[in-house]
Parts: sequence; C-alpha cells; structure tokens
Amino acid sequence: MRALIAATVGLVAALALVLTMSAVGAPPGETSPKPLLTTVPEHP
Amino acid sequence: MRRKASLVLLAFAVFFTALSPLMRFYAFPRLAKIPPSQYQEMVLEVKPATLIDYGTMKAKKVDKLTIVQTLKGNVEESDKIEKRVGKDVVVWDALVHVVGPDGKMVSQIPERYIFDAHSSEPVNAKGEMVDGKPVKREGIEFKWPFLTEKRDYAYYDARSGTTSPIHYKGTKDFRGVEVYYFEQTIPWTEVDVPNTLPVKGITPESVRKTGTKFWYTTVRKFWIEPTTGAPVYGEEIHREEMRGGTLLEGSGQDKVTAFAGHAKIRDDYVDYTVDLVSSQRVLVLLLTSYLPWGFLGLGAVLLTLSLVLEARSRRPGEPEEHSAPEPEPVNV
Repeated sequence: MRALIAATVGLVAALALVLTMSAVGAPPGETSPKPLLTTVPEHP
Repeated sequence: MRRKASLVLLAFAVFFTALSPLMRFYAFPRLAKIPPSQYQEMVLEVKPATLIDYGTMKAKKVDKLTIVQTLKGNVEESDKIEKRVGKDVVVWDALVHVVGPDGKMVSQIPERYIFDAHSSEPVNAKGEMVDGKPVKREGIEFKWPFLTEKRDYAYYDARSGTTSPIHYKGTKDFRGVEVYYFEQTIPWTEVDVPNTLPVKGITPESVRKTGTKFWYTTVRKFWIEPTTGAPVYGEEIHREEMRGGTLLEGSGQDKVTAFAGHAKIRDDYVDYTVDLVSSQRVLVLLLTSYLPWGFLGLGAVLLTLSLVLEARSRRPGEPEEHSAPEPEPVNV
C-alpha cells in the first residue's frame, strides 16, 4: 500500500510539473527596435 | 529506515520515468515554438547578374547585386491575431531589398507572413500581404516545421503567389551539420509588376498601361537542419523578363531580361547561420532526446536502487525494523 502511495506521489508530481511548464511557456519578448534594412550590413 | 528510503526512491523513480514520455509527447509540442520577437537579417549576393537598364530598355551585365532580407517579428500584431485564432502565432514583417553595384536600390518587396509558431503552417489573417497586396498563403515559407521529415512540402512562392511542392532531394553534410536538401522549380509564370521600381517616373500603373508583362522563373534550393526546421543555407537561380507591350518597342525586342542571376548567401552569414542553428538544435534535442532518455535512465536506476533497498530490508536473518519486541519470560 505504501509503495502504491509513493508511486502515485511520483506520478502526480511529474504531471504537475509538465502541465505547469507547458501552461507557463516562454515569455513573448518585445518587437525589435531595429529597422527593416535598406543598406547592406558589413557583417552579421 | 531502509524501507523509508526505498519508498522515497520509488517515488522519484516513478517521477522521472513518467517525466520522460510526458516531456517528449506533451511538453515538446507545446514548448517548441518560434519566438514572436525574432529579428533576423540575411545577405545574399549575385555575382555576376543581368539587369535591365530602364533608360535603354536593354539588359546589361553587372558585377554584383546584393539582396538584403530582413525578418522582424511583430509581437503586438501576433498578440492580436492569437486572441482571434486561439493559438500561438508569429507575425513576420519582411523586406527584400536589392542593391545594385552602385549602392542604389534595384527593387524592394515588403511582406507580412503570419504562421503557426509550432507547426510553421500559414495562418490566414488580416494583414497578410506580399508587396502591398493582400494574399492568402498555403504552404510553408522561409521556415520548415520542427523535426522536418524526409518528404516534399507545399511551399509558397511569394513572387508568383502560387503554392507548389518543394521536393526533398536527399540528406547532406553542410559544414558539419546534417541537413535535408530541398529544391523547387517555378516554371515561367506571369507575375505582377513590382510596386517599387528603381526609376522615377516609371510606376506599376504606367507599365501596365503599356501592355508590357513581367514573367518569372526560379529554382529555389534550401539546406534545412531537420531538428529545428531552420534553413542553414539557400540559393536561388532567378530569372525575370519583361515581355511585349509598347515599353519594349524602342529596344527592337519582344522580350528583355529584367533580372537574372544565381543568388547565394554571403559567406559570413553562412557561418553565422550555421552557428545559430546549431545552438538552437541543442535546445530542441534537450526536449526531444537528451532529457526524455536521461529521465528514463535515471528512473530505471532509481527503481533498481529502491528494489535493492527493499530486498535488503526483508533479508532473512536481519531484524525487521518494525518487528514486535521479544516476549520476556515470566517468572512465577
């Protein structure tokens, strides 16, 4: 019985972690202030 | 004590074993996406090139043309569209700016490309355009999906406004990176007069009135890193002609080459792109391979340890942790 509880705890923790990570995701960031180029850049 | 430790190890073993498929099949499809704020520039060179001289309406050879392509993620627009369509969307405002050997503009084509941040499939929404004209794309453009497959993809050709297959032609090694090579040929097709022409006084309307048409063909080649779906290199054999109409009457020809050449990515940008894609590849592999397999291995090790501890705690001859005390003899 105790083994079953331990396994359930592990499974629930894994599900919680993955669901939280997927829900939060990465921040979108901001639109770059750099312009669309009309000159040839020297280097990348 | 051993029993408690084996139970804790069992919980961790289940945790990491469950995390392995969850990471690969649940988290990866949701977490792997193109950031909406990406900004990227690319420089291609055409050496030599053929270009129309609008003064004489005759084709002339030039040593070099440079194509500057910028992709700029528009976060505000992607937020608005995401709310409408209910999925992660990327909006790229792009500009293809062609510069002649004298540094002057030869042509300029703006685009707005809207696509699904996970699958790279186009999202048809208001604002989608090529050279100022609204379009409804079908097929990918610029970027292949994550975990690109060895098959043909539908690819949108912005110049002709058509979608046709881009064929998988084999796996190659490009500067130490395994890539899938794709190729697409657009046959001679009539296309719109570009909105921005390099000569003052010649407008798209004035060209249309002369009856002169623009025709175009191209062979497009992409070397795609399959894990990220990002191009590490590209080439285009591009040919554009002006045909018929009164505009060409003075030249004595019924068609003239407006532009012809073999565009290749400039060497310093090739190195930059290979480095960038290689670093992004590691991030994708973390979610698809390194972490899932690592977690699975760790889970197996922890399960084994847990079983060993459990077995030891039950070994005959060793006292049980929670065994009842021996009854003491009773003296009467």
